[in-house]
Amino acid sequence: MEKGSQEMNVLELKDFNAYYGNKKIINNLNMAIKRNKITAIIGPSGCGKSTLLLSLNRMLEEVEGRTEGQILFNGKNIYSISKEEIRRRIGIVFQKPTPFPFSIYKNLTYAPIYYGVRDKKRLDEIAKGKLIISGLYEEVKDEIHASALKLSGGQQQRLCIARALTVEPEVLLLDEPCSALDIKNTANIEKMLLNLAKDYTIVIVTHNLSQAKRISDYTAFMLDGELIEYDETHRIFSFPKDKRTKEYIEGIYG
Amino acid sequence: MMKRIQSALFALWISVSCVLTIAAGLFIILYIFIKGFKTITWEFLLSNPGGIPIGVEGGIFPAIIGSLLLMLISIVFAFILALATAVYIVFYCESQRLENTAHVIIQCMAGIPSIVLGLFGYTVMVVSLNMGRSLLSAGLTLGIMIFPFIQVRIEKAFREFSKSVLNASYSLGVSKVYTIFRLILPQCRRDIVSSITLAGGFAMGAAAPIMLTGAVIFAPAPKALSSPVMALPLHLYILSNESISMEKSYATALVLIAILITINIFAITLTLWRKEVKR
Repeated sequence: MEKGSQEMNVLELKDFNAYYGNKKIINNLNMAIKRNKITAIIGPSGCGKSTLLLSLNRMLEEVEGRTEGQILFNGKNIYSISKEEIRRRIGIVFQKPTPFPFSIYKNLTYAPIYYGVRDKKRLDEIAKGKLIISGLYEEVKDEIHASALKLSGGQQQRLCIARALTVEPEVLLLDEPCSALDIKNTANIEKMLLNLAKDYTIVIVTHNLSQAKRISDYTAFMLDGELIEYDETHRIFSFPKDKRTKEYIEGIYG
Repeated sequence: MMKRIQSALFALWISVSCVLTIAAGLFIILYIFIKGFKTITWEFLLSNPGGIPIGVEGGIFPAIIGSLLLMLISIVFAFILALATAVYIVFYCESQRLENTAHVIIQCMAGIPSIVLGLFGYTVMVVSLNMGRSLLSAGLTLGIMIFPFIQVRIEKAFREFSKSVLNASYSLGVSKVYTIFRLILPQCRRDIVSSITLAGGFAMGAAAPIMLTGAVIFAPAPKALSSPVMALPLHLYILSNESISMEKSYATALVLIAILITINIFAITLTLWRKEVKR
């Protein structure tokens, strides 16, 4: 039973609290994230959903947050694994695209080189492979050595996703990856995420309810640092159990 | 009406200031150029000073070499320390108090009068460490002088680096060291090179710190770190202060200015070129 649930659940949060200074952001949260599924986290601004995401790969430490309780990654407490290791295995993509100010190619080889890939051919393969996955390859194949800063916002965001994949993570966290993008780019990214879900576990924080509805298998609704409801997406959207979930979905909180 | 007069006065003030500043700068350079240019010959640049008192005849070759070497030593010494300090303060220091203390100390260092630094270099390096009046003592003293200058600029460049891009690097699981060397330093190269160049010019032009620590009235071009050296600013001071030769002191000043301008132009082109390549 225990083993079975571990195989299903990549990440498990137990009695989890998160703080910035003395301010409690996440309050006693219990949740399990299923392997190879897309889990959406929805909720109004300031409800703690981004903080939750940052906690999952210990990026919260970089922004001076602290946590209580447990997060288990494949059954192991993430604080017993080094933060470098946990971040390699749980990648994150932020709201604003953050391309490194070098060429597209160098963006993609930056982390593999760190992990000891020196072979030029292997690096080329990684770069090409991840560009294909992110649907960027056709658009940039002739200017792969041009600066990544010259790409459009949507292309930059897809590059960042491709870059996060270059270290072969198991989980990909996305913090409102489409909030700065237009419909076409958003559609591109959604299509790509649906493809990725075959091989990766995806957790996406989003403001966009229809996006959560379109792509996620599970949806979690958070309000004021608490997990109000967490279930299969169609249930959350069709038969919300909690009144607050229903109100949010119907657009009360905005 | 009042508003229009105000803005007209403001416009006048800023444009006059701008013109005055540029004019003053050009005037200094041109004046030195006119006064010094006729004395400059290959012989002046490439031979040792001679005559009695020394400097009346001959050239300034050892002073040129001495100044360049002093600049080089001071830059290398100050840059290594400044870079490490800035990296520590920005990326590793977790105590706000330590950081503030470090800043206060660096500020104080920047405010130490250069002749006091010279005295410090003399007592510590020349006498206590028994390094003698030498290229090394003088270079290190200059290094202490320009250290805060470089450190402040490098730290500023690091602080301006986008926090979100930095976090993107950490989120790939790469180490801090790798992030600093592969992402941040290449990006800040422009600022670092320009801060070093400016600091180098500052070091080269300073006479006070080296008077007691290594610069002498006459020495051949140095053969070792332990040799005493001649330096352009001190040579210039001696020539004019002792009324040895005004023509030669203007020519020395011209050479000094020309070297500084060349270094600056070189640094600007280098950084511009780097930027061009990156695009």
